[in-house]
Amino acid sequence: MSLLQEEREIILSNEYVDSFDFAEVSEFVSNASKDLFISHHFAKREKMLVQPRGGFPTYQQQYALYEYFVDANVDVLPLTIDSNTRLNDYATAKKMLRLSEENDMDMLNGYPLVTHGYRTTRKMITHFDKPVSLRHGTPDARLLIETAIASGIFEIEGGPITYLLPYSKNFPLDKAFLYWKYVERVCANYSELNEPINRESFGPLTATLVPPSITIVIQLLEMLLSLEEGVKSFSVSFAQQGSMNQDIVTGAVLKKMAKHYAEEIDCGDAAINLVYHQWMGAFPTNQDFADQLINLSTVIASMVGADKIITKTRQEATGIPTKEANAKTVADTQYCLRILNGLPSVVDEEEEEMLTLQVKAIMEAVFNDPADTLWRKVFNSIKNGVIDVPFSPHIINQNEMITIRDAGKNIRIIERGNVPIPDRCYEYEKSQCDLSKDTTSIVNDIIHDIGIMQW
Amino acid sequence: MVSQAEKLLIDVGSTYFKVCTPTSIEQHFRDFNQDILDDLMSKCGDTISRFDKQDVHICSSANGGLSTLIIGITNSFSLKYATNIAFNSGINIIDTILFQNIEDYSVPSDLIDVVIVVGGVDSHSNLYSEKIFSYLDQLNYSNAVFVGSTQDSQSMRDNIENLVVLPNIIDDKLHIVEEHLKDYLTNLYQQDIEGKEEIKHLYEITSNQILSTPYVVNRALPHIETRVSVANPFILLDIGGATTDIHYSKDLVDENIVTENEYDRLVFKRLGVYKSRQSLILAAQSNEFVYELLLHLGVTENIYNEQTDKATKILMQLAIFLVLCKMSHYRQSYVNLRLLQINSIVLTGGITKVLSQDEVETIIAFFYRKILSSGHNPVAVMDSNYDIWTLGTKV
Repeated sequence: MSLLQEEREIILSNEYVDSFDFAEVSEFVSNASKDLFISHHFAKREKMLVQPRGGFPTYQQQYALYEYFVDANVDVLPLTIDSNTRLNDYATAKKMLRLSEENDMDMLNGYPLVTHGYRTTRKMITHFDKPVSLRHGTPDARLLIETAIASGIFEIEGGPITYLLPYSKNFPLDKAFLYWKYVERVCANYSELNEPINRESFGPLTATLVPPSITIVIQLLEMLLSLEEGVKSFSVSFAQQGSMNQDIVTGAVLKKMAKHYAEEIDCGDAAINLVYHQWMGAFPTNQDFADQLINLSTVIASMVGADKIITKTRQEATGIPTKEANAKTVADTQYCLRILNGLPSVVDEEEEEMLTLQVKAIMEAVFNDPADTLWRKVFNSIKNGVIDVPFSPHIINQNEMITIRDAGKNIRIIERGNVPIPDRCYEYEKSQCDLSKDTTSIVNDIIHDIGIMQW
Repeated sequence: MVSQAEKLLIDVGSTYFKVCTPTSIEQHFRDFNQDILDDLMSKCGDTISRFDKQDVHICSSANGGLSTLIIGITNSFSLKYATNIAFNSGINIIDTILFQNIEDYSVPSDLIDVVIVVGGVDSHSNLYSEKIFSYLDQLNYSNAVFVGSTQDSQSMRDNIENLVVLPNIIDDKLHIVEEHLKDYLTNLYQQDIEGKEEIKHLYEITSNQILSTPYVVNRALPHIETRVSVANPFILLDIGGATTDIHYSKDLVDENIVTENEYDRLVFKRLGVYKSRQSLILAAQSNEFVYELLLHLGVTENIYNEQTDKATKILMQLAIFLVLCKMSHYRQSYVNLRLLQINSIVLTGGITKVLSQDEVETIIAFFYRKILSSGHNPVAVMDSNYDIWTLGTKV
């Protein structure tokens, strides 16, 4: 028995798993409908896929949400996981699910997939016969991913960096790399049975003044970590940044670099797709403004040439959205995409060159780390600040890099910390900003940036 | 002589020693009437003489462990950080003192091996007053180290004799900087082991540095899956004659504060089945669940008075239970692990030669059922051939 299989058997012997049948699950994946695989839909390239967010505690609520989404002409269904399951606290998830079921009141902020189990969840997933994307935020997602794939969920979001640095204060990053390596291997193995399981990185990170070079580097590294384990379908992603031009440039460089680095490790045969997140920062409380923001995001996603868009709702600022509000966004976004025709092609060569230089310099520094494996090179690079994510709460993150917005609302690096931004690019970035202000004013600008889309 | 690449590995514990060649491993109960070296040579002399001094690697945990007293400014930063570093260096903490209340603390009468003074970030100064010097004047200690604000280091040096000053363990972002203090404490620990007369004699058969056993085991853990079938997160228990070491994955801790090392370790100094037998029994007697556990094992408290193999087995089972209790929320201690997330519990050391897998698993199941009210059932992994220790000596 392989080491991976030994580990799988230990993970799946968890008391909250009702006897995992490896052979039956493999047979299910082998014979699963092609429509359940987002990789299959990506390959058809018919349109930009629209995917909302959403997860409710009980089976019935989740089922009802999916019915609303299907009526709204959704392309990809979401399954957002509750916080207890994300933190591997299955005992609390089980208790809270029971309370939710008995009291008709939501005691969980998502669907406790491990607690429901794959036999139950699979009935729902196969009934709707649409691709489902797993949204979680879990550093140790081994059991969750096994349960998801066994349920018929063939897109797995996340990664060791993007699901840790924005979400966790002190979960050990080296452990997260090893746990995600398990996930990649399981996804790669199942991919051999039918259409590929799609892995998707989470590009928004902290969604707070993250410069495009850092976003792109992390996307590329998570892509490489995934491809090197045998994954054949991967989505890189990023979120609306606040400047349409910067988004277009980011999309162009990210696509170009992803192809380049995938080929560098002889994984050019893997399908790489681009996902765009509607605004991930603080939303306007005015719901009409929120609708405008959502529509603008859809236009930018089209300009960027995204393969999938992940939507928000007009209730984003006020809490977990109702299924009605969620379905409305899906319908609105589909409508907006249908009427968006004849978009101009925008290319900003100077910005693209500057961003490409930055990305290449950081990637080179990561590859030059003396460690023997890619994950350890990346780990060391985060530890020593070669990769630095602004506003990450994690203890390993250096937080030396400082970014602000220029007049065009582009995110610019004014203090690079240990990130090896080439001098020429660094000067260019700073030259775009008004640095004559005093420090207090700059700090105030950064603080007020959180509410940039408020009014 | 054997070929150059081959190594002889020796571990000297308080109760047993084990000797590992590339082809065999043997374990012997120590004869306490003899010097360690004499005992070793009389039992394994033939094997040892086959190896060059440079190919012999020795580690020891016999009576290991230094004591420390930590004086800091806040519980949330200076005392917490220094405590973490001390524990991970294998040092026993006698007490932690909040400087503001130093006059309320009694002065320990025992000799303290090392006093750690810590507090403040480098931008702050004059954090300590005369009170600390008068406290230290009354204290009986061998070493003192200052790891607080650099601005205070000169005044501390001027007032505390033979003070070692190291970089601040708290950086400007309030993160922990552990390497300097950890190196210092590990070296002190090392010197303490080497300084013991009996251990010194072992340098007659090795030209390599004698290392501490917990250190050797800990450094093997990132590579453990190459030797035993284990799934993270896991804990490793090394129950010995005098002490019990526990090594644990850092993701089992809510309050993880360090960025290095995947695994932390703790040493329980008075929890062992031979030299620390009496304190183990005392700990068992004061645990409200042990009576039920003994019933579950089919024995009574009379077992404490027996000197039989069965009594040794029961004590080892009690040691597993007690150490799990110490790490659970049942006993608030320095660290409480998220025990419901453990996938494997690895046992190494002499215990694997005495207890069977079933005998270990029954204790683990009892612990989870009684203390955590859970049916969680981590896999028990027995490192019966000392693979982890062997791996650690080779890393």
